[in-house]
This record gives sequence, structure tokens and C-alpha cells, in this order.
Amino acid sequence: MEEPTKGTVTPFASMFPFDEAQKAVKRVEDAIAEKQKELDHLKQFIADNTNLINLVSCLPDELHHDVMVPFGKAAFFPGRLIHTNEFRVLLGEGYYADRTAKQTIEILKRRGKALDSQAESLKANIKDLRAEASFFGSTAAEAAEGLVEIREDYVEKSSSADQSKSEKGDNKVTIEDDEYAHIMSRLDELEKEELAAEGENDSDEDEHTYTADSDNESGEDECIDIVEGDNESGEDAQINAAKRDSDGHEYNQTEANFNNFASQTSLKTRKTQKQTEVKNLSVEALSNKFHNQLDTTDQPNCTGLTVQPVPKDDMSNRKHPTRIEKSIPDEKDLLLPGVKKKVEAASSSRNEAPNWTTKSRFDRFKCFTGPIEECSSITEENSQNQTVTSSQTPVRASSPAFDSSKAFTGSIVERVDNVPTSQERSATSSQSPNSQPSKPVSRFKMQRR
Amino acid sequence: MESYRQDKIQKFEEFVDRRLKPDLVRAIAERDKVFEQQKTFSDLRKNIENLEKNSVTRLRTLINLGSEVYMQADVPDTQRIFVDVGLGFHVEFTWSEALNYISQREEKIARQIEEYTNQIASIKAQIKLVCEGIRELLQLPAEKPLPGHVF
Repeated sequence: MEEPTKGTVTPFASMFPFDEAQKAVKRVEDAIAEKQKELDHLKQFIADNTNLINLVSCLPDELHHDVMVPFGKAAFFPGRLIHTNEFRVLLGEGYYADRTAKQTIEILKRRGKALDSQAESLKANIKDLRAEASFFGSTAAEAAEGLVEIREDYVEKSSSADQSKSEKGDNKVTIEDDEYAHIMSRLDELEKEELAAEGENDSDEDEHTYTADSDNESGEDECIDIVEGDNESGEDAQINAAKRDSDGHEYNQTEANFNNFASQTSLKTRKTQKQTEVKNLSVEALSNKFHNQLDTTDQPNCTGLTVQPVPKDDMSNRKHPTRIEKSIPDEKDLLLPGVKKKVEAASSSRNEAPNWTTKSRFDRFKCFTGPIEECSSITEENSQNQTVTSSQTPVRASSPAFDSSKAFTGSIVERVDNVPTSQERSATSSQSPNSQPSKPVSRFKMQRR
Repeated sequence: MESYRQDKIQKFEEFVDRRLKPDLVRAIAERDKVFEQQKTFSDLRKNIENLEKNSVTRLRTLINLGSEVYMQADVPDTQRIFVDVGLGFHVEFTWSEALNYISQREEKIARQIEEYTNQIASIKAQIKLVCEGIRELLQLPAEKPLPGHVF
């Protein structure tokens, strides 16, 4: 089972021979006996002391006591004690002091305390020795029984060190990845800023025209899509195909939107889209399907966001909550029959624009209920802010999205979720046709891969 | 043969260690006690002689109450003295009677001491004998007894 080098088995008897253990026990017990004798002696002293205290306390009661006065060790004189309140007490080193009965009692009590502490220490000593003796005794017994000690080196330490090393290496890699991601995100951010700046310039004029355009175009397209989706939703095999079609369709549409939005910056936007593609590829590398789903779906949202903030209104923002609440039950109703599972498995089939968005959101709620709720509120605020500074929003929105695509950490995914939720809201409320096209892009990409 | 000799040696050694040496220790302890008695009585004799010489009739002394706490005691009449005669009996003597008794007691104590000394010497001799027997059994060359090597 285990390598022989890993551990050693030593019989207890070889390490602690029975005889030796017995000898140790005997020695310790002798020590205990000695200590016990000392303790008895000490106890004798204590008893004497207390007796003397009693004696000294009662001697002054009488003027004199008839006693036998010792004369040497073997002889007595009949006599009596006089001056019964005068005691001569040895202080030590041959010095004596004349004290009264009370003072003498105090002295004796102090001596008694010292004796008590000595006795306590001795008792503790004996206790320790007893424990030692019992240990030796048990050891001897175990040795006699033929117990063996199995000793094995703790190998885990070295392996853990290796692990830490490898972890370090991983960290390095991740750091590098992070750095790369950071650089890329920064680049993207700058690009977005540029784009936004240009957008800002045009925003006043373009805003309305663009919204109109997008509403018209995407709305129409969306309707077609919806029709398609509805028709084919029942059939498993065809859903994918339909999606693919619709995805492609809408992908193009987004591109068109982009072009509409700023024809001058179309190249740049395409670039960014390419980048998102690249990122999506890396996302795929993660091979986490759910994350894939999220990221890919979110990505386009963000790209969509860059386009979208322009049409946002105060009105639309206010509408958000109610709209969402409505949309969820709607979606449920719609999705219930048969298709539902398929929808979930394939992350979503776009039966209807609002439904789809809510659906994805619904899924996410399932997965990250807490954080999303929190962040969604935040994003709502954000979106409100966005209405004020609509031109800046793209930058803001874009940066988290890109981050998420590169660094595949859970927390970032959460962040990504937040953005889309706001996005989706806006989509559901006012921009559903507009946002819709962006989503299919992701679907399309996924499918392509 | 060899094992028999080993057994014999072991028996002798055990005899020395378990019997003779404890006996010796006990005898010495007894003799020490008797020496102490001798000293006590000689002290008492000296003290009584001192009282006689100074013709002390009243004595004021300090009594040890224990733990070196002393109290003054007054002896109104020193003519009568109670002397321990053994077994917890004290006999009331006058000074002359006491001195007489003490001299007799001292003689007895001296005899006791001699007795104990003889006993101790015999025990030592036995130990020596057994050690010699062991030496013979081991066939070691006879060694000169070292001076001061008691046992």
C-alpha cells in the first residue's frame, strides 16, 4: 500500500524496554515517597504551628500556669509560667524579640502562610511526579503488550511547496493575462472615447435620426425574426438554423447600425467588433459553457450599448421597472410549452425581442441572484446618469465588458452581468428593437464557433 | 560447577547486603541513641552539681513552647527534681538522690554502649568474612585490607 521508506514501524519495547520503564517507574515512585515524607514533615510543622498559635492565644488568659519546667531532657522541676503575655520569639540567626501574645500570633500566622505555600508547592511536585509515574507505568504496560509505534514523515509539506511553486507560476501567467487584458481594455476604451467624442459632436443631430433609423430598421427586422422564431420554435432541429439565420441577419444589422451611427467611425467600430470576436474566441478557450453564454451574449450588448446611449430618455428609464416586471411573466407564458427547455439549453431562442432579453436576464437571476439584484439597481442609477451624460456612457459601459471578455474570473462575469441588465432594461423599455440586433450577434458568433 | 559457584557468590552477597549491612546500620543507630542518653544524663549531672555548688533555691528560666517561642517560667523550689527513669516514669528525687541515680544510670548506659560496640564489631567481622568467602570463590588474590576501609 505504502512505500517502505515512507514510514517506520518500531516496537515500543525496543525504544522503551519493559525493564527500563519499570525502573523508571520505581525511581519516580521513590522520588514521590521522598517528597511525601517531606510533605508529612511539613504538615507536622503546620500542625505544630497551629497548636502553638492556640497555646499562645490562650496563655495570657491566666496570670500564671502551673507546669513542669523541663530541666535538660531527662528532668523536670515543678514550677509555673509567669509573665504570660511576654514571649520571646526567635527571628532567625540567633536574634530574639520580646513580643506580646497578639504580636506573636501574627508572627506565627505569617510563618504558617509560608509553610502552607511550601506544602502547596510540594503537593504540585508530587502530582507531577505521579503523572510521570503513571506515564512510565503505561509505557511499560504498552511495551509489555508489544505495541508498535508507526512513524511517518509528513510528506505533504514538500508537495505543497511544489504546489505553491506551480501556483506562483500560474499567478504569473494570470498576471500577464491581466496585464494584457488591461492593455487591451485600455486601448478599447480609448477607441471608444474617440468614438464617443465623435458621437458627441454629432449626437445632437444624430440622436433623433439615429433612433428613428434604428427603430425602423431593427424593428422591422426584429419582427421578421420573431416570426421566424415563433414559427420554428417548436422544432428542435430548426431552431439552431433559424437562429443562425437570424443571427447572421442581425449581425449584419448591427453593423448597419454602426454604420448609421457614425459612418466616419465605421472602420473603428468594426475593429472593435473584431476585437470582441477575438475575445469571444478566448472566451471559448475557457470552455465554460455558461460563461461563454453570458460573455458572448453580453459582449454584443455592450457593443450595442456604445451605440445605444444616445436614444435613451428620462422617460424610458422611468419605465424600466414596470416593463421588466411585466415582461418576465409574459416570457414565462410564452416559453412554457415544450420550447422552454430548448430555450434554456441553447441559452435562448428568440421568440420575441423583449422576451428574449428578459429570458436571458431570468437565467442570470437564477445563477447570480444576489449580485445581480444589487448591481442592477446600481446600473439603473448609472443609466439615469447616462441620460444626463449620454455621450460618455459608451466608454463606461464598454470598459467592463472588455475586461470581462479577457479576464475570465467570476467576479468580472458578475460585473458583466450588471451592465447587460441595464442594457436589457433599456432594450426592453425603449430600445428593444435596437438592442435586439446586438444580441443575435453573439448568438451568431457562438454558432459560428 | 561454575553455576553453583555463581549461585553461592550471589547468596553470600545477598546475605551481606540484605542481612548484615542493615543489622550494622541498626546497631549503630541504637548505639547513637544510647550515646545521646549518656550525654543527656551527663548534662543533667553537671547541671545538678552546678545548682548544688551555687546553692540555687529559686530558678527562673525560659521554656520553649515550640517553634522557638519562649516564655518565662518560675521554679519556686529547686530542691525536688523529677527525673525520667524510663518508660515514661518520672521519679521525684532530691539532688543527692538524683546524682546517685544518674551515676548508676550512666554506668548502665556505658555498658549498653560497649554492648552495641561489640555487636557492631561482630557484624563488621561477619561482613568481612563473607566478603573473603566470595573472594575465595572467585579465586581472586588476597588483598591487603585498606586502612579506613570499614565495610
